[in-house]
Parts: sequence; C-alpha cells; structure tokens
Amino acid sequence: MRIAVLTRLQDLGEGPVLEAMGLMQSLGGEQESLVLAPSAQDLVAAAGEVRLGVHPGLDDPDPEAAYAAALRLIGAEPPRLLLLPEGPLFEMVGARIAGHFGMSAVRDVDEVQLAGDDVVLRKGAYGGKANVRLKARGGVVAALRAGAFPAAEIAPKPATAHELGTLPEAGQERRAVRDTSGDDLGRAKVIVSGGRGLGSREGYLGLRPFADMLGASLGASRAAVDEGWASPSQQVGITGRKVAPELYLAIGISGASQHLSGMSQSRIVIAVNRDEHAPIFEAADIGVVADWYQLWPHLRKALEG
Amino acid sequence: MRILCFLKAILDPEAPPGAIRFPGKVEIGDVATVLGPFEGNALELSVQLAEASGGSFVAVAMGDGSQDVALRKALALGAERAARIDAEPGFQDPLAAARRLQAAAQELGGADAYVFGRQAGDWDMGVTAGIFAGLMDLPFVPLAQHAEIAGQGLRLRREIAGGYEESLVRGPLVMSVTNGPSTLMRLPKVKDVMLANRRPIDVLRPADAPASVTLHEIAAAQVTREGRMLTGDAAAQAAQLASELRRFLVSAGGGN
Repeated sequence: MRIAVLTRLQDLGEGPVLEAMGLMQSLGGEQESLVLAPSAQDLVAAAGEVRLGVHPGLDDPDPEAAYAAALRLIGAEPPRLLLLPEGPLFEMVGARIAGHFGMSAVRDVDEVQLAGDDVVLRKGAYGGKANVRLKARGGVVAALRAGAFPAAEIAPKPATAHELGTLPEAGQERRAVRDTSGDDLGRAKVIVSGGRGLGSREGYLGLRPFADMLGASLGASRAAVDEGWASPSQQVGITGRKVAPELYLAIGISGASQHLSGMSQSRIVIAVNRDEHAPIFEAADIGVVADWYQLWPHLRKALEG
Repeated sequence: MRILCFLKAILDPEAPPGAIRFPGKVEIGDVATVLGPFEGNALELSVQLAEASGGSFVAVAMGDGSQDVALRKALALGAERAARIDAEPGFQDPLAAARRLQAAAQELGGADAYVFGRQAGDWDMGVTAGIFAGLMDLPFVPLAQHAEIAGQGLRLRREIAGGYEESLVRGPLVMSVTNGPSTLMRLPKVKDVMLANRRPIDVLRPADAPASVTLHEIAAAQVTREGRMLTGDAAAQAAQLASELRRFLVSAGGGN
C-alpha cells in the first residue's frame, strides 16, 4: 500500500508531523513525504521518499494556493492513505484533496490499522461520548490527533524539489490578525478556562489575575466564545483546541461532552461550579461546588498569603 | 446572491451523560433531535448573506423525517425553500454524502455560496464541506466566523491558529462556518415558526453513491474520573484549593 504524509516545511520537526511520519513507518509499504516548501532544500528531515513542492508563497499561503500546491505535488496518482496532522493545513486542503481524487476523509484519528486491503481508523464521535472504528475500502485522507502516535526519529536526507509554477489565490486583500493575549493553549502546562457560569465578559476577564498567579493560559468554553467574551482561538473542545496540560481548571463550565473531549487528556482537572450535578465534576479530579465570585476573594488571599 | 445552506439535525448534544448509550450501536433513548450547533451558525450566516444581498437561501438536509426539525427552523428564519435528501439515518460515508449533496445542488439549480456547519455533532466528521468543494472544484473557505457583501465579492473572516484572517473572495465558493459572536443563531418569531410548520418540505432522491468508508465498531468512551469534592464553606474550600494548587506548582516547577 502506498502511504504519504503531507506537511509544510516549517512544520517539519514538530511533534504532530513526527508522529504522522512515525505512523507511516510503522504501517510499512511504499512511503513518501510530500513537503510544501517556500524554497528548495538540499537536506530534509522526513520519512520515506521525500518530495518538495516549491513556491515562495508557501511560507503563508491562503487555502486556494495551498490546495493548488498540494494537488500539483501529489500528481495524478494519490496515495491510498494520505496522512496529515490535525491542524491548519488539513483544515485548508485535506478534505478538499479527498473530494478531488474521489477519496473519503476522516479526522481526529487516534489509531490506524491495516486489515488486508482495508484501512481501519479510530476516532471520537458524539462529542467524545463514543469511539468509533471506521473501515476504509478505498483511498482515504486522515487527519491525526496530536499526541496519539509515537514520534519518529528522523535524520535529514536528500529531497527532490519540484517547482510548482504560478499558484492561484482566491482571497485578495488578505489580512491576518494574531491573538495578542499570549494564551498559547497548545503548549500550556496550566490552563484556566471560563464558561457561561461566570455570567459576563467582565467576569470571564476577571479570571486573568487568577491565571497570572498560576502562570496559566486562559481558555474558554464554546459558550464563552459565542458570547464574545473570549476569542475563538481560546476555545477548548473537540471543535476548538484539544489540550493536554498538566493542570486544567474549569471555572463556571458545565461540561458539555464536546468540551470534556477537548480537555480529557489533562493530567489533573479541577472544576468549580455552582451546580453540583454539572457533568464537569464527572471528569474532574477535584471538584468545588461553589460560586466562583464567593470563592475567589478567599482563594486570592490564601494564594497571596 | 443565492445560497444553499446544508443543515443537519442531531441528537441533543446537551443531553445528560448516559442519556445516549453505545452498546455496539447508538441507543438514543428519549433524547430529542435538534439542529446541530454549527449548523445553527451556518444558518445564521446564510440568513445574514441573503438579507444583505437581497437574495435568498435554500435549506438542504439529508436523512429521514427526523431532519425536518432543522429544515423547519430554516423556513422559520426565511428560507425560500427546504429540501430533504431521502436517506437512512445513521453513519454516512462523507464522500458518498458529498456526492449526493452535489447531485442535489445541481437539481436545485446551483448557488453562489454553499454554506456548511463546521462539523456535525453526531459523528464529528468535519470533512463533508471540504470534500464537497473538491467534488465541485470550487474555492473552499474553512472555519468562517463572519461574512459580508463587498462589491461583487464576499469579505470573509476565518479562524486561523492563534487569531483570524480576513480576505475578499469573488465568485462561487464553499464555506464551513464556525461559532462566534457573528454567527450566533437568531431565534425565529413564534408566528414564523407556526407558518414554517405548514410549509412543504421537498424530498429529493438523487442516486445512491457507494460508500468507501463504513462504520465498523462503536463503543462508549471513558471520560469520567474518580474525583473528590472539597467541602466546607467558601473560605474552607478556598484554603483546600490553594493548598492543592501550591502543591502542584511546587511539583511542576511553576506554570507555563
């Protein structure tokens, strides 16, 4: 079976890409790494046969350019199994590539097995309440959940570069705005997340001093994002960021299953909620049934003391 | 602007733990079927674009009659027409589903914008919009948070890692919509809900597409922990919690 990993040059060496390559190596068969690169490189740390698709615009492409580049690099014959880490590249091109080639696509995959001619992929469903195994009989594009596979150790090797020519851009007048809060949930050891139970934007932002005392990043439930209290990049959940900090504090979050699925890999979970029946307590190591606004003055004094 | 808005009704994602069971299959108990949250975001954006452009939108869902709850919500919010692609409930291969959506889109006369929710909250696949864009050979804007008419195009804001990106897109496109303040679904008026309940829902029967991905196995996931509750009044709870947090910070060598 022919298997390939599609990635960006700037993502090589990152954990999720190394995990995708580790999975590819463990599955065996014919292997290649397809790398979108803004410039040609002599040596590239990637698994299997390494092919670079080169265009200067690939340091920060829009979805249209990234898609066109990926199609040209893949060529006329797609691999049977195309692996990408879950993330921005898959979001832009993964499923669309699948449609172009008449392949199916599965995301959030945390286990891949070959069973004869079939590929069996495991993923979450129903907001994390269930796990499913799906059997792919034809070609499939799979987005891999970060942290689910052992990372490969890969030495740099020569790569074949392919100039991609002119790329289209559907989006004009592009402007990227980065969140300046400094809350990098993906790398955080400690996350304090707030939800609708905080009652207001001011209440949510009032978590910042607590987060600062712990050296924590500030996360949010979907409800807090919907209310406009937090930016979408702060949303924790199966459809926001999946996080795995050492310590996760959920303040005023009821614990919808899609939120629980996004933080269930946390080592320690502490939950504060007024409702003793809130589902978040089912997923917590330490629970506090309390009104945050009554608890916080005492907690602040105790932590400062 | 003419819009096709693809919707899906799912089992209530806010159902309490254990209400939906997975003993090798999905047992729904008495859990209600509701419009999926991200489909609500897609519906809101469709309403906004139809209003701003003086155009219209058609709501499309796939499944059995349980999908009508989603379509009637769209009708109550101003959909020109509602169409259900007849299909068995349960897991659907996203490629096969996208092929049938493509056939239905052609039968419905096409559109300037094809609007999907980011991810249906049952099987959590999140790939149908992208596959549809690949089949249709149309530009695809994932994770749109906001859209407005700008001349002959659409100014779109989409979520990217650590922020957002805005761009102007011209011509027909496919987008998946995510949640945010701009896409929070409005509530229909009671009068419009009652009128919507009397309107017809067209049933389409495009040819079945072969499934290349099938459901092999389903089982409940384990997300619960054996936790303990801190007791006493707020002062006592705070003292215990502060002690736990200090212990953690010492053992972990600090925060981020």
